[in-house]
Amino acid sequence: MKIREPAWRVFASEFNASTLELKGEGEKAPSYVITPLGAMINRLFIVGILTDMQNLGTDQDPYWRATVSDGTDKFYVYAGKYAPEASAALAKIEPPSFVAVIGKSRTYSSDEGKFYVSVRAEKVLSVDEHIKDNWLLETVRATLRRIDAMEEAREMENPTAESLVNLGFPPVLADGVVRAVEHYQDSDVNRFRGTVLEALEQLLPDRTFDLPLPREMPAGPEEIDDEELDDSDKEEVILKLIEKLDVNKKGAPLSELIKESAKLGISEDELEEINNSLLDKGLIYEPTIGKMKRI
Amino acid sequence: MMNKEELAPHVKEISRVLEGKVKEQDIERDLDNYLNVYRMSVEASRRHIVRKYGGDPNALAKGSNKTLAQLGLNEGSVDILARVMSSTTREITVSGTPKTIQSGVLADEAGTTVKFTVWDLTKADLKPDTNYLIRYAYTREWNGQPEVHLGNRVVVEERPQEEITVPEGVSVPPAGGRSAPQTVKVSGLSDGMNNITLTGRILSLKSREVDTPSGKKTMFSGIMADETGRVEFTAWEDFKLREDEVITVSNGYVKGWKGIPRISFGEKADIARPNGEFPSAEELSKEVRRSIESIEQAGGAFDVVTTGTIVDIKKGTGLIFRCPECNRVVLKGVCQIHGKVQQVPDLRIRVIVDDGFAAMTAVMKREVSEALTGVTLKEALDEARETMDTEAISQRFEERLLAKPIELRGTVMSDDYGLSMTVTEAKFATPDVRSEAEALLSKIEVI
Repeated sequence: MKIREPAWRVFASEFNASTLELKGEGEKAPSYVITPLGAMINRLFIVGILTDMQNLGTDQDPYWRATVSDGTDKFYVYAGKYAPEASAALAKIEPPSFVAVIGKSRTYSSDEGKFYVSVRAEKVLSVDEHIKDNWLLETVRATLRRIDAMEEAREMENPTAESLVNLGFPPVLADGVVRAVEHYQDSDVNRFRGTVLEALEQLLPDRTFDLPLPREMPAGPEEIDDEELDDSDKEEVILKLIEKLDVNKKGAPLSELIKESAKLGISEDELEEINNSLLDKGLIYEPTIGKMKRI
Repeated sequence: MMNKEELAPHVKEISRVLEGKVKEQDIERDLDNYLNVYRMSVEASRRHIVRKYGGDPNALAKGSNKTLAQLGLNEGSVDILARVMSSTTREITVSGTPKTIQSGVLADEAGTTVKFTVWDLTKADLKPDTNYLIRYAYTREWNGQPEVHLGNRVVVEERPQEEITVPEGVSVPPAGGRSAPQTVKVSGLSDGMNNITLTGRILSLKSREVDTPSGKKTMFSGIMADETGRVEFTAWEDFKLREDEVITVSNGYVKGWKGIPRISFGEKADIARPNGEFPSAEELSKEVRRSIESIEQAGGAFDVVTTGTIVDIKKGTGLIFRCPECNRVVLKGVCQIHGKVQQVPDLRIRVIVDDGFAAMTAVMKREVSEALTGVTLKEALDEARETMDTEAISQRFEERLLAKPIELRGTVMSDDYGLSMTVTEAKFATPDVRSEAEALLSKIEVI
């Protein structure tokens, strides 16, 4: 049977943590990237903020590299002459904006043996916030299901795809999970619980989060609460500052930002941390080096 | 290029003929040389090697020598080296006379298992936990899997215990052609199941006359349902069924039509009429939700609702033209069967809907397409006339549909290209993201 490959819902942080590839043998056989949670990805569907675009080709023969951030990390998306539709669609979209990408997983190993994954676009289009929110929700669900499957598999003495299917997991996932358990021996499943919470935070921005502590950690000291409140206050302050300093609409110069935040008692180190957090959350982006812009 | 695993059964066979006089490593090296370097055929290589070490090439097993995983569904004559994992004998009746047959499960070194049946116990009597070289067996398909049959031509030879090591943890399926009776719900039905027990309410019923080799016969068909879904049924006997009654069928079987499971009950089936509560016909006619992935596992589904995201728009979406004679899509007014015809315009949508674990094609006819997109056939035609472009509407449909979550109702079939739904109702899904996110969060916080 020549069944269409499903489009996996996976967060960038899980996808980018992949170091395992299953190469298809034969001409038309599909290849898969297997993530630490056992997603066996040939095709994927992603929605996020297009933050940056570069034409690595020529004007006549463009080859686009775009970064799409989903708030947990960013996907590297490529589109060239083999996907003229996607390439043309991408060229028309101005960052930052919400985009949906349907594409195929690709891998690259550097000479030093480092493993990189990316997405070769089949379809690219601008979408609204509802599509983005719905994607986040679906991807949270899919990720939780993979975490479940991974934990079940780790408890088995001899995990097999068959036994996972008997527990109600789909065969494609069961197959990937068995391979992932073997390859990612000491990967931390809990890390992806954190990813899920980050995504839910995006969906419920005004809800105060009772972040559960990782299981192996003792109950935390009380003072954490105050600090966290402070942090989000500071993020709000910096966000406003970036907006204020962005006079020519090309982004707030970092040097100005450092100066102004120092006046508010925020050190340069602290500022960098806040900026990173805002970047991660997809609230700001770096249009050019040394400039910050609100999304 | 044959790998070591594929060579193994041949090495074993050559070693058997040479009565162990030559080391298996040497045979393997020779065989590898003949096959992979000199590119000789398997048969010729085997005969050469046997002759080279002074054996009799005619003692080699004829037919193809296969591992269990290589077995086809309809092999005429195969030779197998395998271990018997389980074996039982039982009585059956063949054209009125009782007969004893044996059935069980075979396994090989790769851990593959396959069921077997011995039809003539004077030719073969397979004992559990024993290795055999089985020659001149044949295979037949059962539920999509090959089964090995040992008929009256079969020759079996017991082989030493150490010749086959079956990997640990190989799960042995229950032996015998007929599965143990199992009670199922409608959503759990899939093609090829037999000896099932199912309780449901008959929602519709009709009868018709059919011609059978033994004369005219009345068969009954309709739709029955439980709380997990609806399924079409066929009764080959008159069980005095009535519309709206609740029945428990035992010893029924599932025969798929294009992957859509359908339940049949013939002369071996029993019908009981259980007392007690059962959902009303009205409740059972409501929509039934199934994930694309669960439909895929069943191979198809009758009248279900499912959700997913549109990830691709297929050719033939938008304004199309049909032949008035045969309804086929025509190109430039020419039907491939009826030639130049007065083409009839139509609107259609063909998309791929995907839920992240499985995908299906969804086909929407005109009424469904119009309701979903808000573009009527008339508007599409007007626009095409104005712009002189029939493709523009497809482009507009793509923009309106791609990446959108959608809810579809229809019947899902399957073929070599996967699932395909004939859609009867379609609407864009508008999940309440916030409350669902809250629900998920509370689930995580509990952990």
